[in-house]
Amino acid sequence: MNRLLTALQLISRLALRNLFRNRRRTLLTVLLISLSLAMLMFTNALMRGMLNLMVSSAAEVFAGEAQTHRRGFLDAFDAELYMADTRPLEAKLRDSPEVAGFSVRTITPGMIASQTDTAGGLIYGVNPEQEAGVSRLQAAVTKGSYLTGKPAEMLVGQLLAEQLEVTLGDRMVLTFAAAKDGSLSQSLFRISGLFRFGLRDLDENLVFINLEAAREALGIPEGGHEVAINLVRPAKDSSPLPLFAALSDDRVLTRGWIDLNPEIKAIIGWVDFNTVITGGILFLLATFGIVNSLFMSIYERIYEFGVARALGTDPLQIFGLILFEALLLGILGAAFGLLAGGGAIFYFSQAGLYFGEMEFEGILATHIYPSLAGEQFTTFPAYVICLTLLVSIYPAFYAARLVPAHALQRSL
Amino acid sequence: MSLLFKLAFRNLLRQRRRSILTGLSMTGGFVLLALSLSLVEGSYSGLIEMFTSDHTGHIQVHKNDYLRRPDLHKNLDDGEVLEELLQSHPDILAFAPRIHAPALAYGGSKTLPVTLTGIDPRQEVHVSLLKEKIQKGSFFKQADMAAGPDHDLPALIGRTVADSLKLSPGDELVLISKGADGSIANDLFRVAGIVGNRSSWEKQRVFLPLPAAREFLAMPGRVHEYVLKVPGYHLAEEVAASLREKSRNKDWEFSSWQQVEASFYRSMQSDKRGNQVTLGIIIFLVCLGVLNTVVMSVLERTREFGLLKAQGTSPGRIFFLIETEVLLLALASCLAGLLIALPLITWFTLVGITLDQAFDMGGISYDTLRGSLSPDIFVTSALVILSSAAAVSLLPSLRAARIKPVDALRS
Repeated sequence: MNRLLTALQLISRLALRNLFRNRRRTLLTVLLISLSLAMLMFTNALMRGMLNLMVSSAAEVFAGEAQTHRRGFLDAFDAELYMADTRPLEAKLRDSPEVAGFSVRTITPGMIASQTDTAGGLIYGVNPEQEAGVSRLQAAVTKGSYLTGKPAEMLVGQLLAEQLEVTLGDRMVLTFAAAKDGSLSQSLFRISGLFRFGLRDLDENLVFINLEAAREALGIPEGGHEVAINLVRPAKDSSPLPLFAALSDDRVLTRGWIDLNPEIKAIIGWVDFNTVITGGILFLLATFGIVNSLFMSIYERIYEFGVARALGTDPLQIFGLILFEALLLGILGAAFGLLAGGGAIFYFSQAGLYFGEMEFEGILATHIYPSLAGEQFTTFPAYVICLTLLVSIYPAFYAARLVPAHALQRSL
Repeated sequence: MSLLFKLAFRNLLRQRRRSILTGLSMTGGFVLLALSLSLVEGSYSGLIEMFTSDHTGHIQVHKNDYLRRPDLHKNLDDGEVLEELLQSHPDILAFAPRIHAPALAYGGSKTLPVTLTGIDPRQEVHVSLLKEKIQKGSFFKQADMAAGPDHDLPALIGRTVADSLKLSPGDELVLISKGADGSIANDLFRVAGIVGNRSSWEKQRVFLPLPAAREFLAMPGRVHEYVLKVPGYHLAEEVAASLREKSRNKDWEFSSWQQVEASFYRSMQSDKRGNQVTLGIIIFLVCLGVLNTVVMSVLERTREFGLLKAQGTSPGRIFFLIETEVLLLALASCLAGLLIALPLITWFTLVGITLDQAFDMGGISYDTLRGSLSPDIFVTSALVILSSAAAVSLLPSLRAARIKPVDALRS
């Protein structure tokens, strides 16, 4: 035990000395390792930032983290497929500790007509109080006021309003089919507010009226087409809850936001795949550099190794020495990488990274805010150090197997 | 000169393992560059090809700002004059008129807001794939263009319209809209065919023959949009500019596909920029490795260079010797990289990867990863690798060239 300790002590002292013998080379190798790590961290943070943006637009802004519908409703927004009595469901939601809020909505496709122009869109009937606990509609009102419950009130998306060239106080006619018999119902509303969520799909297509007014026009006394649910846990967590199954039966179906947005699920899968590929390539490139640098330092010391071996040093000790040098390189690289990567992520998480104008899934983004996460500072550097050790096995093996006679000869 | 190459070769071979390892990192850099340039180029050109031939055409003509703010009343009433111009332009292969209006479709007991589009079937087939996308039923016939009041008015409907209203060819469909004269437009049509699928452009559209649509909307002789086809999407901007030049005093607006699908185009540009940044960082990492090697090899050979200089070799020769070594290695790496990249890219070009779930990028559905085999890609990648290798070795080579023989020989 004691001998092993002395051996380790000797090895570590030698390794340190060797690394400092050629400072420039060590610096370049450390730079290579640390930049690879920093870039991997930053890529991951950027992906997380994009994911946050998608989660917030897919769930937090309007849709809610889970939704309940009659089965088949989402296929064609068939007004007939409404939930006639939502009271038992509402009671269950109120009793569930996971639920932070919920909102009963009616949804119907229809024509939105001003005095001069018409457009197609989705007409939502909502209860103002309930809705405020789920979506950001109330905060999204830019002009006029939020719904108060008066029958003729109506909120129109800003882009839609621009398209129809209407503004606050204008009278609008909504035309859609009643739920019961499909007969056309026309009702008059007055624009009481304009809203802007910042998501093109929503701002261009939606109008909101009071739930009671919508029910009356649709001819349904109670209930609605959708119950949007806001959960207590962070929206990023997309795993389904047991609650969803409890809120589903053969007539209604409750699903989490990730299942309601298969495209986003696909993008997340795609992003993960991309991170793995980028990481793999980065480390392949770093590997060549690390191995190269270790070999250069071995070549320089061939004579030394020959002497050491001739004096009876165990090949294992030489093997250990090279591995230890690699470990030190890895640790130094990881430390600098953590500093550089962490600093860059922190800076851009505040300032945002300008990406030009990008639009994915109706989300318009100009800046992405990279997001810090634990794994960037724990698993990533651990991987980097392990990888450095792993690739140094080959040069270490080479050095350990040097035949003293050849080594001494070659260097003379 | 040949001595220079001979020396460079010999120096590279002297440290075979180091040369190979350095070469491998450049090879990796080359493959990565070529592959990602090829995928970006191939995927986007495929995508652009797809939507321009599917429905947007290469150039569209509207009145004023109709494209950004569509309005029934912003229509072209001087269609004949415009058509003459289009006909006389040598680069325009085909064009077709369209009119658009929002409408409420009523089938059975269900309603759905739709976009109504009037087309001229004879011209439309040259600018879009509408006819090829008929899933059920048939495209408009010649006689439909002359539809009168006693004629059964045919309509083509998108997939979502068909599914939501549960319609099949032969069924009746009522359209309700507002005419240009302010009247309520209301008429009965017969479904002639169903077009496309649930994710295509026309999913929530109803197509009518142009005369029927004009009559329905009370817009005789009017057109909202002309869709133009030119020999290739690269030419769109150029042809649009020449058309603008020729019609200065008119209120026609010529928009290339870059403007028609502006948010897609901007997203594409941003994506390409992001990609360039990533590649830049990777090239930087490759350069670090190359720098390390060159610095080491120069330091190792200090005595050698000192000796050469003492014998009267000019500094320029030493400088070029080292640069030649690096460039030879970089060239060999690019060739090796080509061997790896070529089959990979060929596979991506011929087969490619289809994503399970398409995603929406600025209104365009992005669903396949494809490569492009354009020689530009390989030339660009090789140039980037060669020039960055040459650039990072500048300093060490200069240093070697400036070695003082006395100091070098003493070390």
